[in-house]
Amino acid sequence: MEPFRGRKIPTLLKNVSTRHSRHCSNGGITAVNSVSSPLKLLPVPPPALKLGQEGFKKVCRTEEDSPCPFPGLASGVLEMRVKEGSKIRNLMGFAMARMQGEMGVSDGGLRQVVFTGSGRAVTKTITCVEIMKRKVGSLHQLTKLQYKVVKEVWESTEGGTSEMTVHRTVPSISILLSKDPLDPQEPGYQPPETLSALWEEREGSESSSQTACKRPLGPLPYSSFPNCKRPCLGERISVHPPH
Amino acid sequence: MAAPVHTEATPAAIEMDPVEYTLRKRLPRKLPKRRNDVYVNMKTDFRAQLARCQKLLEGGGHREICVHGLGLAINRAINIALQLQASSQGALQLAANTSTVELVDDLEPDDPDEAREPMTRTRNNSAIHIKVFYPDPQ
Repeated sequence: MEPFRGRKIPTLLKNVSTRHSRHCSNGGITAVNSVSSPLKLLPVPPPALKLGQEGFKKVCRTEEDSPCPFPGLASGVLEMRVKEGSKIRNLMGFAMARMQGEMGVSDGGLRQVVFTGSGRAVTKTITCVEIMKRKVGSLHQLTKLQYKVVKEVWESTEGGTSEMTVHRTVPSISILLSKDPLDPQEPGYQPPETLSALWEEREGSESSSQTACKRPLGPLPYSSFPNCKRPCLGERISVHPPH
Repeated sequence: MAAPVHTEATPAAIEMDPVEYTLRKRLPRKLPKRRNDVYVNMKTDFRAQLARCQKLLEGGGHREICVHGLGLAINRAINIALQLQASSQGALQLAANTSTVELVDDLEPDDPDEAREPMTRTRNNSAIHIKVFYPDPQ
């Protein structure tokens, strides 16, 4: 079994949980089983793996604050938080208007924007960034990856009072797009207009390593992508893989 | 781009009669094939792909590897990179780049009697390329 695969939560359950989450308060919850600390990973498989089948439902989901991946950033920068259900046209409609400047405003819009997303929203986040780079042009990019801790509160559906708090770590991405130049030495920096150059440019850049490896490369490393139809496994339980 | 002939008939035909065609997805093109390139997919076991990366960095003598993920596999690529970093106790650094990959789909008519010709459609998908490397001691 893959250790990071989160259990897929049925849609029905999810709807219930989002409705309830409005009433959810962070105080006053008795954590029967509290698992914490994202990177000192768990000794046992977390209870969330089977919570759904054991008569639990998720009542609350909160993302814990993580440090900003861009330390030197001005405080007023527009941050687009991309969620799983966000519509790209809504996000882009808003962000493009702010970056290009409203009609009649002469300053030409914002200089920088940050897109962040975690779990299943990561792909959508990248797509938004790619669209904006194409439309606005000449944007410097800085990409940062980190784990984000998500706290979930599960409640027994069988009338009991037991509640459970689960901490999951999900991969998250933060991308800064800037009209002004950024530090090219920073890991994750990408200069403007590398849209198509990325593949070819990398091809010849490290020919020396070709001799270092013994194993021959299999044919077409991407070969299984096109038929990939499995459901998204975005959120992952924080279990450390065995070494 | 690949099917200039059918541009006029294509949108209507696809919208009105999708049953008549079989959709076949072609492979992405333009792939760098260095020894230290790892292409993450959703079919191979996660641990196997993680172990492969660890092997390259520890046993293979590579100072850096490149983890690529396309579409759905972006998540897994990030997960692998972050796991590698976490298990290295901070020795490894990540540098992620994003890109758009153009994919081509073939539409093949199911019914050979009908005078329909095969068509192609292109679409875009997002991709990530994560360089996992030991920073140079300076």
